[in-house]
Amino acid sequence: MNDPHPPIAPFGGFGLGLRRAHYDDFLSETSRVPVDFVEVISENYMIEGGRQLRILEEVRERHPVILHGVSMSIGSAGGLDDGYLARLKALAERIEPLWVSDHLCWTRTSAHNSHDLLPLPLTGEALDAVCANIDHAQNTLGRAMLFENPSSYLTFPEDEMTEWEFLSEMARRTGCYTLLDVNNIYVASRNHGFSAQDYLAGLPLDRVRQIHLAGHDPATQDRPVIIDTHDREVCNPVWDLYAQAMQMIDQPVATMIERDEHIPPLVDLLTELDRARGAKLEPA
Amino acid sequence: MSLADKQAAFVRAILDDSTPLPEGWGNSHALGLSVYRGNYRNALMGTLESTYERTAAYIGEEAFRTARINHVIANPPSHWTIDSAGEGFDQTCAKLFPNNAEVAELAWLEWTMLELATAPNTKPFTAQDFAEASAAFGDAEWMGLGLEFQPRAATRRVTHDLTALWKSLGADSEGVDLRGYEEPQGCLAWREGERPTFIMVDADNTRAFEAMQNGERYGDLVGLLAGDQPDDEAIQSAAQRAGAMLGQWLNEGLVVGLDL
Repeated sequence: MNDPHPPIAPFGGFGLGLRRAHYDDFLSETSRVPVDFVEVISENYMIEGGRQLRILEEVRERHPVILHGVSMSIGSAGGLDDGYLARLKALAERIEPLWVSDHLCWTRTSAHNSHDLLPLPLTGEALDAVCANIDHAQNTLGRAMLFENPSSYLTFPEDEMTEWEFLSEMARRTGCYTLLDVNNIYVASRNHGFSAQDYLAGLPLDRVRQIHLAGHDPATQDRPVIIDTHDREVCNPVWDLYAQAMQMIDQPVATMIERDEHIPPLVDLLTELDRARGAKLEPA
Repeated sequence: MSLADKQAAFVRAILDDSTPLPEGWGNSHALGLSVYRGNYRNALMGTLESTYERTAAYIGEEAFRTARINHVIANPPSHWTIDSAGEGFDQTCAKLFPNNAEVAELAWLEWTMLELATAPNTKPFTAQDFAEASAAFGDAEWMGLGLEFQPRAATRRVTHDLTALWKSLGADSEGVDLRGYEEPQGCLAWREGERPTFIMVDADNTRAFEAMQNGERYGDLVGLLAGDQPDDEAIQSAAQRAGAMLGQWLNEGLVVGLDL
């Protein structure tokens, strides 16, 4: 394994994504939001100054922070954007996060940026490109990273391996860690007809440091595809899969609820997070 | 086909519905691709919607939707931040609404305010700081004086009162307040602490600010305001106006340093 960076120590706890609608809650002088960490979208804070960055610094004084990116484009055949990496590195040095993560996907070519998490063909060529990019990112940032399994809406005829085989080999070659999005496993397994249990069993679960839970838009008769929307509560099958994952993972992990649309009052998300706490406490 | 070629083809297919599906793709791939197309368009349309709330309120939902589609098609994003998708929307509006200059002016102001919100933090060079720094200036120092302004502070010639229009499109509005100027004026935007703000200024102030921002010297500024072949009275008047502008920029906190 190519593992030149300090290992990422397991961190157990329960957290939420920091969203603008909840800034006042997180900055309240009279109460502390009962979470063990917060996760922020890195790109929202890869800025030069102003209120938003100041708020993140104030939240950081109260909670550990995870930087979760959506635009690194680790699967781009043309390599990474060094300007982007420099901005991310500066933010990481400023915030001192628990860790830095992004997605197993690509978002751009040299000419265009889709601003979406696009699927990779699961081929040896793509694996080589991803691993070279991860090496570059981790060396530039001076730290190991986590990469999240994506939701996806199509697979490629030329696929040579499963996604969990791809993720496993990626971690083995680069020393990166896994951000396990349980909802994404559920969405992809239903969209592409594989077993979510096989997926979990095939991953190097000792590399998991974080778990994402989120809601999705179910398939309909007119649109037989589940879409990962982060706009509603986590559904029961995803809770069940989370419970299965927690029984299979030995080390502490950081679990969080993601909500990016139709963001409810913070108390609602804290109540949902309590369900994750309860699921974790259930005996195996 | 290489990975790079596949990715280029995928992006082309997202950007253009008429792009043929790659070889070997069937209905399930077409369905999946339609989700990615939808995500791409929704993300960009949503970004423009949140960036240009007042422009949307002014021109109405349908016209704003048309303008957004035009902008997204003509300006597919290339930068890593999706916020950049809104860049140049004022120019799109200028093309779509050639007889309503206020639309592009309003869009320019919304973009400028967004940019200012994330500009580097700076410490204003106060009038007191300036008085101390310039206490011993001779004519040469005054003539060669350059100013360093807040990053992303911006100015533009405008044909409508953007203060009135901006306020009337905010919360608790009682209707659109559109006031045209007989002669073009200027709008000057900057940040007070963490809060982006703007004022209307005269057109000369806009010209002067742009000139100083582009590295012209205080001596050049007096020349700029005095016009061609000025007499002594015109030069004296220009010097007074330059001084007043300098005072205003200092008092508003726009100046962050001197370039001596």
